[in-house]
Amino acid sequence: MNAPTGAEPSPDTLAALFEILKSFNKTGAELAPGTRFSEDLNFDSLVVMEFIAVVEDAFDISVPLNILPDVATIRDLAVAVEKIVAEDKL
Amino acid sequence: MAALLDRFAPIMSQRDALFGDEGVNPFQVKMDQVLSQTEAMIGGRRTILVGTNNYLGLTFAPEALKAAHEALEACGTGTTGSRVANGTYYGHKELEDTLREFFGKEHAMVFSTGFLANLGILSTLMGPEDYILMDADCHASIYDGVRGSTAQIIRFRHNDAADLDKRLARLADKPGNKLIVIEGIYSMLGDKAPLADIVAVKKKYENVYLLSDEAHSLGVLGKYGRGLPEEVGCEDDVDFIVGTFSKSVGTVGGFCVSNHPQFDILRLMTRAYVFTASLPPSVVASATVNLGLVKNGGALRKRLMRNAQKLHAGLTAIGLKIASENSPVVAVVAPDPMVAVAFWRGLIEAGVYVNLALPPATPYGYSLLRASLCAAHTEEQLDEVIAIFAQVAAKVGLASSPEKQVAERKRIAVG
Ligand SMILES: Cc1ncc(COP(=O)(O)O)c(C=O)c1O
Repeated sequence: MNAPTGAEPSPDTLAALFEILKSFNKTGAELAPGTRFSEDLNFDSLVVMEFIAVVEDAFDISVPLNILPDVATIRDLAVAVEKIVAEDKL
Repeated sequence: MAALLDRFAPIMSQRDALFGDEGVNPFQVKMDQVLSQTEAMIGGRRTILVGTNNYLGLTFAPEALKAAHEALEACGTGTTGSRVANGTYYGHKELEDTLREFFGKEHAMVFSTGFLANLGILSTLMGPEDYILMDADCHASIYDGVRGSTAQIIRFRHNDAADLDKRLARLADKPGNKLIVIEGIYSMLGDKAPLADIVAVKKKYENVYLLSDEAHSLGVLGKYGRGLPEEVGCEDDVDFIVGTFSKSVGTVGGFCVSNHPQFDILRLMTRAYVFTASLPPSVVASATVNLGLVKNGGALRKRLMRNAQKLHAGLTAIGLKIASENSPVVAVVAPDPMVAVAFWRGLIEAGVYVNLALPPATPYGYSLLRASLCAAHTEEQLDEVIAIFAQVAAKVGLASSPEKQVAERKRIAVG
């Protein structure tokens, strides 16, 4: 599992992502901050896109495609989501 | 040490499971002889082509053949250079003039393919402060184009103007230009963009531009074949139109037209235009002539749509699930890739070619037999195609019962 990349996201954000991920978790992998989308959850590009669309609706944000290459783990995504939410409030 | 392409191992095993056996590989079809716009010899069999994107059947237009021959004799087989070096001949300029006139736009730029037009324009148009909002079902060339852009890339739900609105609203206070990217007709299912709704959303916000890829709608929609914007009557609201000559225009090449006053600088800034060789003169000549035929192709468009309706009705009557409506693309949905491959092979072995399209290249994870019509298809050819579809559908277990089919045919006939 990856080491944390920078800031730790809030438990609420993580919990919301875990909840969404339940219906996408086909491998039955354990859902933890360090769980990796590609290696642990077996997400292909299509699933990533569907999943991101649900995350966007849940948080009422747009997640630019540009950030996806830097998102390997659930923690990475949570941090990115929080950053976008904060920017939208500016 | 892993072998070079080991990361594709899952795809390789999927490929081998689907068509690694003795049967015809759907992605390696070879035409041994081209008989006409609608027929070819494949595997020693006369085959009706129902998956060519040759919507108007212009690949053998005598006027274009003649012009191509003349250009070939006059200018040779290729330009051996880029548009900005030695690769712009009088023909390329004439083609751009023809495009400007065809679309009624100030500027036109011809690329070597439609793929390169999208790659070039989308990677260059928007800068680091800007945003691109693209329909999620856009073509691979659009995805690759925006990947090369320094702008922020945001996807909106396919054909969902309300979702686009929501996303533009979030960006309303941000400086920077926004570009909406859509297609006139989406290639896989043949569905149209809700262009009037998208234009209405566009007009609610400042600094928003609209680009439409009219690859599949050029020549197909509109009285003069200018695509969805002409049909909907909002050509002035579409700031950039990208298109290809590889479908209804019947040859190869791509373009972008626009009224934007600074458009011409793109000729120097677009790498996919600067750093590739220009189209050969014969291709340029056929595109120029065929654009005229497209413009005056009202009768061809009528035939195309009549053919589409016939195939649509015929396949529906068999009990097949069709994912397209009122479109020159008729996409049959198979329950899974295995059945789709079996169906496709049944068709090719009986003399019908359609496109096989599998996820992830398809929306909704569909496994598709994608048929596209041609104005040159005859009633007899389509009757034969429908009969073969019926036989093969029965074999792979996708046809409804004969009684139900008779009832369905009656229902369709009554309208
Ligand atoms: C929507 C769309 N855009 C662009 C292209 C690329 O066109 P071309 O064949 O000229 O590269 C295609 C065709 O494959 C397409 O379907």
